[in-house]
Amino acid sequence: MTYQRDPGLPFQKLEEETIVVDPRTREVHLLNDTAARVWELLASSSTLDELTETLADEYDATPEAVRAGVEELLAGLRDKGLLVDVAGAA
Amino acid sequence: MDSALRADSALRVDSAPRCQDDAILTRSGDHAVVSQLQSMAYERMIPLNVSLELTLKCNIRCLHCYNFDRDTAGPACGPGDAASPAPALSPELSLEEIFRVMGELRAAGTLFLSLTGGEVLSSPHLFPVLDRARELNLAVQMLSNGTLLRPGVAARLASYRNLLGVSISVYGATPEVHDAITQIRGSWRRTLDGAERLRAQGVAVRLKLIVMRPNVHEVGAMRALCDARGFPYLLDLTVTARHDGTQGSLAMRITERELGALYQGPLSDLIPNGSRAVDEAAFPCNCARGNAAISARGEVFPCVSVPWAAGNIRQQSFGEIWRSSPVFERIRGLKIADYPACAPCPDKSFCSRDRGAAYNASGSYTGTDPFVCAAAGVARAVAENRAPDVQLPLAVAAAR
Repeated sequence: MTYQRDPGLPFQKLEEETIVVDPRTREVHLLNDTAARVWELLASSSTLDELTETLADEYDATPEAVRAGVEELLAGLRDKGLLVDVAGAA
Repeated sequence: MDSALRADSALRVDSAPRCQDDAILTRSGDHAVVSQLQSMAYERMIPLNVSLELTLKCNIRCLHCYNFDRDTAGPACGPGDAASPAPALSPELSLEEIFRVMGELRAAGTLFLSLTGGEVLSSPHLFPVLDRARELNLAVQMLSNGTLLRPGVAARLASYRNLLGVSISVYGATPEVHDAITQIRGSWRRTLDGAERLRAQGVAVRLKLIVMRPNVHEVGAMRALCDARGFPYLLDLTVTARHDGTQGSLAMRITERELGALYQGPLSDLIPNGSRAVDEAAFPCNCARGNAAISARGEVFPCVSVPWAAGNIRQQSFGEIWRSSPVFERIRGLKIADYPACAPCPDKSFCSRDRGAAYNASGSYTGTDPFVCAAAGVARAVAENRAPDVQLPLAVAAAR
């Protein structure tokens, strides 16, 4: 499965955090530093494996240690409507 | 690794908006979330909210307009809309200049961009600016008189997913009262039709009700109108002196007596209750900390209501002005004790502490506006169930 952030959503990175605004629901989401980094990576479409590998490298951890967290994060972003369907997604 | 997604609750939740401008992005019930962000911007001094005045030109000629005296004619006025020309001082920002500053705002931390005027819909730059804001992932709010919201325009605005909403100014419950203030016959109908049209396209619309002498008898009816049509609304009781220094707008101000009558009648549910302590932390507004404004000629202000120029984006970048302007540094360093009339005032908890009104009335950011002071006193008197020190001559119909 391939993930990408919704390119139409206003957002701003403030120091380590990122604010994402959804004008459709008028909700404001505050992403912590890790979620903000994933949001940044999701500017282009990425798979779970790709995100896991990147974050494991950046956090100096094993992919196994971060994979569940990334999955949880992606599920949260998707549930909140902040991701778009990417053509060719499994 | 941290938990994946932190929700809004991690931010401070106990604060009300520091000024009405902070609430401009919200609909009823959303205040808490936006207030949390405003507190974060305040504490970190991030210009999260910036108003950008696209033009001073306007197609109506409101008697209370804070920009300049729109009835002034002659050499002071350059080319502009026939109904309301803009004074010919320096030229208004070009689209190229606006695009440049939008990039600078994005880099400085701005997320919420309010587009104002004049009338924003009369600016040829509006749609290119909306396009650029979308590219920059800025959330946009517009302030408009609504009269130019024709079907094609409303549909086009609705196509912008980054458009949070449009605030539309209404000055009466009846066309006679509203049109007498705008000095344009038919404007009330066009404003409300525009508001309905925009909402029908799915855009969040909020009406902004400015209370003044010619419409004070209709305040209850104005609120009823909003309720009947299902529009959220914001009431503003303070008309300020104009940014061009003329005082004519002040004739539109309601009197203390009228304010007392409103608080005992159709606005009785809106009296400040004075329960919130106004300490060193709560006293300042978001001016120059989370808020800034850019005039149509590039001046950078601490807030759209306070025309105290901290610099001009034609001479410096916005980021440079934001970080190092002596004006902004002065505002950020103020303590309650620096406000000589406010510091000892017993009515602080009932006061709007409207810095724009104070600045325009006194010429000093730390000064006062007698109307605002009187309003705090009236609110306190009514809230404490004392007879205010004013007579109440009005029989205001509380059509709520």
